[in-house]
Amino acid sequence: MIRPEEIKMSAEETGKWGMVIDQDICTGCQACVAACAMENNISFVGEVDAGYGRSMHWIRIERFWEGAYPEVKMTPNQPMLCQQCGHATCEPVCPAFATVHSQAEQLNLQVYNRCVGTRYCANNCPYQVRAFNWRDYQRPEPLSNQLNPDVTVRRMGVMEKCTFCIQRIHKAQDKAKSEGREVVDGEFTTACAQACPANAIVFGRVDDPESLVSQVARAHGHGVKHLEELGTLPNVTYFKGG
Amino acid sequence: MIKRLFDWLKQPLGLIAVGITFLALFSLAAYGISLTQKPPEQPLQFPHRTHVAFGIQCLYCHPGASKGPAAGIPSQAKCWGCHNQIQKTQTSELLKPLKDAVLSGTPLEWVPVAQVPDFVQFNHRAHVAAGQNCENCHGDMTKVTIAENPQVMNMGWCLDCHKTIAGEDHEKLVKLVDCGTCHY
Amino acid sequence: MSNKFSRRDFLKLAGVGAATTAILTGCGPASRYVKREPYMLMPEYTYNGQSTYYATTCRECAAGCGLIVRTSQGRAIKTEGNANNPLNLGKTCARGQATLQGLYNPDRVTDPAKAGASITWDAATQAVVDALKNHKPDEIAFLMGTTSDHLFDLVTDLAAATGINAPVRFGALSMFESRATLSTAAENLFGQRGLPFFDVGGAQVVFSFGANFLETWLSPVSYTRGFAGLREAQTKMRGTFVQFESRMSATGGKADEWMPIRPGTEAMVVLAIGKLVAEKRGGTMPHAFIEVDPANVAAKSGIKLETLEQLAEKFASSAGALAIPGGAALGQSNGLTVAEAVLALNALVDNFGKPGGVYFSALAPNQTEYQRAASVQEMQGFIQKMAEGKFKVLFIHGVNPVFELPASLGFKEALSGVGQVISFATFPDETAQEADYVLPDHHSLESWGYQRVVTGSAQPVLSGSQPVVSPFYNTRATADVLIAAAQLAGGKFAQALPFTDEVEFLQSKVAPLMNSADGFFSAADINTFMAYFQQYGGWWKTLDGRAVPVAANLLNHSLSGAEAEFAGEGEFFFVPFVSPTLAEAGANKPWLQELPDPTTTVMWNTWVEINPETAHELGLEDDDVVKIISEAGELEVPVYRYPAIRPDTIAMPFGQGHTAYSRYADNRGVNPADLLGQYFNEAGDLAFAGMKVKIEKTGKKQPLSRMESIMGVYGVGLGEEH
Repeated sequence: MIRPEEIKMSAEETGKWGMVIDQDICTGCQACVAACAMENNISFVGEVDAGYGRSMHWIRIERFWEGAYPEVKMTPNQPMLCQQCGHATCEPVCPAFATVHSQAEQLNLQVYNRCVGTRYCANNCPYQVRAFNWRDYQRPEPLSNQLNPDVTVRRMGVMEKCTFCIQRIHKAQDKAKSEGREVVDGEFTTACAQACPANAIVFGRVDDPESLVSQVARAHGHGVKHLEELGTLPNVTYFKGG
Repeated sequence: MIKRLFDWLKQPLGLIAVGITFLALFSLAAYGISLTQKPPEQPLQFPHRTHVAFGIQCLYCHPGASKGPAAGIPSQAKCWGCHNQIQKTQTSELLKPLKDAVLSGTPLEWVPVAQVPDFVQFNHRAHVAAGQNCENCHGDMTKVTIAENPQVMNMGWCLDCHKTIAGEDHEKLVKLVDCGTCHY
Repeated sequence: MSNKFSRRDFLKLAGVGAATTAILTGCGPASRYVKREPYMLMPEYTYNGQSTYYATTCRECAAGCGLIVRTSQGRAIKTEGNANNPLNLGKTCARGQATLQGLYNPDRVTDPAKAGASITWDAATQAVVDALKNHKPDEIAFLMGTTSDHLFDLVTDLAAATGINAPVRFGALSMFESRATLSTAAENLFGQRGLPFFDVGGAQVVFSFGANFLETWLSPVSYTRGFAGLREAQTKMRGTFVQFESRMSATGGKADEWMPIRPGTEAMVVLAIGKLVAEKRGGTMPHAFIEVDPANVAAKSGIKLETLEQLAEKFASSAGALAIPGGAALGQSNGLTVAEAVLALNALVDNFGKPGGVYFSALAPNQTEYQRAASVQEMQGFIQKMAEGKFKVLFIHGVNPVFELPASLGFKEALSGVGQVISFATFPDETAQEADYVLPDHHSLESWGYQRVVTGSAQPVLSGSQPVVSPFYNTRATADVLIAAAQLAGGKFAQALPFTDEVEFLQSKVAPLMNSADGFFSAADINTFMAYFQQYGGWWKTLDGRAVPVAANLLNHSLSGAEAEFAGEGEFFFVPFVSPTLAEAGANKPWLQELPDPTTTVMWNTWVEINPETAHELGLEDDDVVKIISEAGELEVPVYRYPAIRPDTIAMPFGQGHTAYSRYADNRGVNPADLLGQYFNEAGDLAFAGMKVKIEKTGKKQPLSRMESIMGVYGVGLGEEH
């Protein structure tokens, strides 16, 4: 029998699932943020905790200012989410092995039941995309009726982050398998990409040159991977446009 | 003060006291564990064995098992579909809760027996499709009244089976032991 | 029941044991003693654990985007866009996503009530019967929101047949969008009422004069798609976008060039650009542009003459130039002139009916003419009648005028002049609190209905609604209540609404579409048609239904380049804008509250935007609470130093400041509408950006929750115990 730790991680250089985000057409409308929260049972934390930077957005839209009035410009909106790095800096620091690399899907996993809440991973994430459950955030009844049964409801003391909607990946794979076929490109997408009114987010298989996400990447050319110089091998590509 | 306590505990009487305390805690723990393994109390004594003996397939009442994540509890309409044609339903004391529930339109409140924690995303369909029979996990229903859990459904038990099934198949093993297969 | 005892026994007997067990077994199934209720009668098409998807229509705003709602075990779990619907093509905005938090909000109205005490639906229906029967027709009035078009049609039919006042519609979004101004401008110039449709997606150069079309304006999802098309034009040439506004909106943030023109100079800037464009294009100078002097405009507006010329060159030389009027530019005393000037600018480059140009929006399938919501001036007349006691009964549905209308109009006070107020509110909002009866309608996801798509789609679209979950509370569809009451009232009322229920009424309204050859489906009988209607989430035509504006005399139309007039003594122009995330009715949804504002990243509160230089001169820092004083009112609000606003302008988002609208909205932030006076533009729309205000320091501080915050980290905190 082969032991899982002996399996060579050969796919991490290419990645499997990836995303391209066109900042030139992102309008910062927050539809992706809302869609992500609704899909992934993300808690709202209230005004005070949000003020402390404890809001649990798995995806956020960053905007920066350039220049001063009247020559001031807003930089292109930058949706920031877990980059699902091939060499993730969050992974080696977890003492509980709760932040691990999925060899099957080439994603950075957060295993909630293993997480003991050291927050080391969040400190080590250069993208600052991890959110920690500082409390058991309340969902007064009947708000819990909208919880997605496919996603674990997290409790106090647990780290969480974008999963690339792994529940949708599994659902699509399960459906394809039950029909005896492979998952077709575009058959499913992440909640953020599905909602985006500008189609600024495209999700799919980056290891398949024929997938839409690969085609979009090629068509745009000069994509940027954030903090690539750290050697994190991110799987999200940005187009600044303009 | 503390030294005196330790001195007292070291003498024979003290050692006996320590022993009794330890035994008491241990038995309480053992009792607690045994409680979690006992089949829970159900609204009616549903005899699985009788139904199986009539030749009713598992999937007749739990069709979700071959279609998706949850096997599901059959709707009361399904129970009543057969039972309202059976004379005994009208008279049997054991069946009274069902009759009352259906006629009054209130749902029976079943207590699930085979459960995994919230942070586990289990999918029946994949297991049925992989050729696992219901009894492999849920035990022999021809022998029980209320369903019982023949084993502790913990991660070690899941992984043992997953590893055995994967065998030497690399790709299968990667998928079957990946944390993200069940936890998200 | 016995389970409950067994659980208690379990806890009592094995308190220690359970704790030890929990440790020893690694915290095994925490939900060990949950109970599961089976379906009484499971729908045939579903299995346990499998989701069912229903097509319906979003009612968070009046745009009418199609939704697909995922349900599981009878609960709505997620909303997605309906990919079939030509308006939104599978996309939604943030508010559409959060609609579930309205459905499952803990503070909905659960039962019909009279003066706060629950009553039965029989009593409630009887109250409606009495209200209809015991008053003269002209003493009965309906005030309705901009959503639920089928209900509006029902009340319109009822009113036409019985002589009661025709229903009046209003919504804060239509107020801030100045819809009356847009359609009046169209009527003045093209001789036809209707909303213009601006084909942003096909254009090469877009000049927007205040239009916040990427946020809440008219049909944001459709316009955002258009914007994506502009940037990724089919010709592979990236389109240019210039925004003229005194405060950079989220839309303005996406512009290639942001022109911070002085408020009130919009009309003259448009005319000056028009003149320069006309000069560059040659030919006779159109009448409208003759009088304006670009050099003078440059001095007044704060844009250099050189820049104006460059802009005009850009506009004149492009094959696909498009100008859009909207937002604060129309909410001024000369808003109609601005709208007309912008349409004239489009006429100048002759883009009517061409890709990337101006069209008349397609009329929805069962619509014969464009109907718009009431302007605020029309609402003023309505309120006048209320105060004078002309209305003995007022029915209110789908709108919260006590909150949405500026307080200076006195809607709340005028309510006391109405004998009986019957509200159909889903939420216990400010207006419902003033009502004698609250007869709660279903949430939109529990409702039947349809919504006409008035703009945003090339094809005529009727978006259909159906219940995706059964009603959660003891609510009842307002259409059903009215139909039942009309039947009980008998006579002309019963004849006006000869239906058994809402669905039958709905069928009667969509039946004429059944055999249309130009629809994307047709059916021989109504049941089949309704089945398709529900399955696809509506009915739409396959061909472009937009009309081409004809404006032969438009360029001879004379337009004044005078500056807008501002009310009040203050030194700052006041620009209220609709919160892009909350809009008019989003404050009750906690996740919308926690979405950062796209430009300031503030969550859960209201702020006032002040230029950092101005703030420095006034000695103001972020989070300093200031008092803003207009001649209509005053309020206190924390400062956000906003780098992209004119130094002489301050801005505030509209959407917060509720006193009753669920726990997530109550006593949170302030409502800038409280500062607005009764000033209107030529079309009767509120001159909401036509006020000047004063700022006073209060010495207080109120930290704002911002995503870009550094609070907590550096010892700055919000609350004591945190």
